[in-house]
Amino acid sequence: MKRYVSLISIALLATVSSAMAQEKIKIGSALALTGGLADEGIKQAVAQRMWVRRVNEAGGIQVGDKKLPVELVEYDYQSDGNRAAQITEKLINVDKVSFLLAPYGSGHTKITATVAERYQVPIISCVASSESVFNTGNKYLFGTLASLNSLTDAMAHLFQSKMPNTKRLAILARDDVFPKSVADEAAKSAKALGIDVVYFELYATGTMDQTSALSAMKASKPDWILGTGYNQDLILLRKQMSDIGLTAPIVSMVIGPAVRDFIDGVGPSLAENVTAVTWWHQSQKFTGIGPWRTSADFYNDFKKENKAEPDFVNAACAAAPIAYQAAIEQTKSLDRNKVRDALSHLDIQTFYGRIKFGQNGMNEARDMPILQVQDNEVKVLYPPAVANAELRRVDH
Amino acid sequence: MNTIQLIINGLGTGAFYASIAVGFSLVWGVLNVINMVHGSLVVLGAFLGFFFWKITGLNPVFSVPFVAVSTFLIGATLQSVFINKVVSAPVLTTLTLTFGLDLILYNVMTVYFTASIRRVTTSYGNIDLGSAVVPIDRLYVAIFALLITGILYLVLRMTSIGRAIVAVRMDKTAAALMGIWVKSVYAITFGIGAMMAGVAGAVSTLIYPVTTGLSGAFLLKAFIVCVIGGLGSIPGALFGGLLLGVIESFAGYAIGPQNSLTLALAIMLFVLLVKPTGLMGVKGFD
Repeated sequence: MKRYVSLISIALLATVSSAMAQEKIKIGSALALTGGLADEGIKQAVAQRMWVRRVNEAGGIQVGDKKLPVELVEYDYQSDGNRAAQITEKLINVDKVSFLLAPYGSGHTKITATVAERYQVPIISCVASSESVFNTGNKYLFGTLASLNSLTDAMAHLFQSKMPNTKRLAILARDDVFPKSVADEAAKSAKALGIDVVYFELYATGTMDQTSALSAMKASKPDWILGTGYNQDLILLRKQMSDIGLTAPIVSMVIGPAVRDFIDGVGPSLAENVTAVTWWHQSQKFTGIGPWRTSADFYNDFKKENKAEPDFVNAACAAAPIAYQAAIEQTKSLDRNKVRDALSHLDIQTFYGRIKFGQNGMNEARDMPILQVQDNEVKVLYPPAVANAELRRVDH
Repeated sequence: MNTIQLIINGLGTGAFYASIAVGFSLVWGVLNVINMVHGSLVVLGAFLGFFFWKITGLNPVFSVPFVAVSTFLIGATLQSVFINKVVSAPVLTTLTLTFGLDLILYNVMTVYFTASIRRVTTSYGNIDLGSAVVPIDRLYVAIFALLITGILYLVLRMTSIGRAIVAVRMDKTAAALMGIWVKSVYAITFGIGAMMAGVAGAVSTLIYPVTTGLSGAFLLKAFIVCVIGGLGSIPGALFGGLLLGVIESFAGYAIGPQNSLTLALAIMLFVLLVKPTGLMGVKGFD
C-alpha cells in the first residue's frame, strides 16, 4: 500500500510541476556579454530584455485562453563558439527552455543552430546574415536579417549610378563568416556591374596591424574601398588608412557607421562620408504587431530607456522574439514543432518591417538602407522613399 | 612593393610589441611565471590613459606617471597576495592562477568600463617622405616604447634593486644567502612587469582602440616576442619585437594579412626547435 501511495505522490508531483512549468514561457539565449563580441552581444541582450519587459508589463503572451509571462534564461558564452554550444545544450536539457534565440553573428549562430536542430528546438537568429548558415537544411533555424546579396547589390548600383567613374574596388575583410560573406557578395555585385575587384584580401581575427595590407591596397589605386569586420576591426582599419594616407572617393565599412560606436570610435573627421549598408534605420516608417506599434515607438522607447539611439542590432533582436510571440499566439500552444511550423508560414508586419521567413529560414529580401556619415550625423542615401541626403565623396 | 613604407610600418609596430613584451619577459625570467594577466594589464593601462585624455584633453603620454604608479601597485599587490602563495609550484599552477586573475580583471573592466570600443581621436598628421609616410602618432609610440624599454634596461643594470632582480633571476638561493629578500624582489619585479604593461597600454591609445577585446592579442604578441627574442633578456625582447613587427609587415603585404600571424607562429616554433633559449636568450631560461 505504502508503495502505491509513494507512486501516486510522485505522479501528482510530476503533474503539478508540469503544470507549473507551463505557467511561464522560457526562452533561452546564449549571449556574448564578454570577450571579443561583447560590444555587439550586449546590444543584443539589451534589446531582448527590453522585449521581455514590455511583453510582461502587458501581462505576457496569449496562449489559448490565458496569458503567460516570459522568462528569458540567458548565459554569457564569452564570445567562445564552443562554449556557446555547451550553453545551448544546458539551456535545452537543464533549464528546459521551450525556444531559443541565437547568439551574435553567423559563425556562432551556425554552431548553436546545429545543437538546436539535434533536440528539435526552434531557434531564431537576429544577427546572422550569411546564407551559408541557413542553407544547411536546418528546419528549426530562422533569422530576421535578410540575405547579404541584396545588401551589396544595392550598394554597387547606387555608387555606380551616382559616381559613374567607380571602376576599381578594393576589399579587405575579416576572415570570419559574416565579414567574408559580405566581401564575397560585394565582389560578385561589383563584377556584375563591370567594376574590377583590384584588391581582395582577408585578415585574421585579432590582427592588430593592417598597414602592410593597406599599403598593398594603396598600390592598387581603388575608387571604392570596402572594409568588413566587427567594430574593433573597422575602427583600427579606418585609423590605419589615415596613417598611411590611403583614401578613395568612396569608403565603405560594413557595418561601421550603422552603429554609433564606430563614429565615436574613429572620431568625426575619419567617420565623415564613410558609407555603410544596414538592415534597419529609424528613418524607416514601419507599423505592425508586438510591443511597439511603429518604428518611431521603438526608437523613442529605446532612447528613453537606454539614453542611446537604437541601431539595427537592437532593432533586429527586439523584433526576433516578436516572431515567437506571433507563432505562439497563432498555434495557442508551446509545442515546439507546432511553433516551428507556424514560424515557417509566418508573415507579419512589425516596427522592424516585414518578417516572412523564406524556404531556408531567412527573412525575405527587401530594400535595405544605405547610410553615410555627413557632418557627424548618419544620413540615409537609399531607398529613395526615406533618403535624406545625396552621396558625397570622401576627401581624406 | 614599397619597401621603405613596409619597414617603417614594421618598426613602428615592432617597437610597441617590444614594449609590451619586456615586462612579460622579466616576470617569466625572474619568477618563472607565465603571466596570463599581462594582456589585461595592458588594456587597464589603455583605459587609464584614455580616461586621462578624456578628462584633461592632454596627450595620453602625459598620463604615464599616474598609470605607472597605479599599475605598479596593482601588480605588486597581485603578486604579494595571490601569486606568492604558489610561486614555487610548477609552472602550470601559476599559469592557472594568473589565468583566473586575468578572467577577473577582464570581466571587472568589461562591467565597469563597458564593452564599448573607445579611441583617443586626436591626430598629429604624417611626415611625408615622398615614397613613404610616417604617421606622427606611431612615431610617438615607437619612440616612447624604445625609451621605456631603455630605462628598464638601465634600471636593471645600474641600480641596486635592478642588480637584486638580476641576482634572484640567476640564482635565488645564492641571492637569499647574500641578504636579498627574495619575496620583496618578486613583488617588485611583478610590479615592474605590470607597470611596463600599463605604460605601454596608455601610450598605445594613440594608435589602437581601447577595448578589453584586445587583451588576448596583446598577450599573444608578448608571448611570441619572448619566445623569439629570448626569456630574461631585454635586448632580446626588443630585438624579438622589432623582428616580429617587420616580419608581419612584409608577410601582410606579400602573402596577405590572414597569413602573417601563421607565419609569425611558424617562426616561433622554428626558433623553439633550433634555439630554445630564443635568439638572444640567457642560458637557463629555455
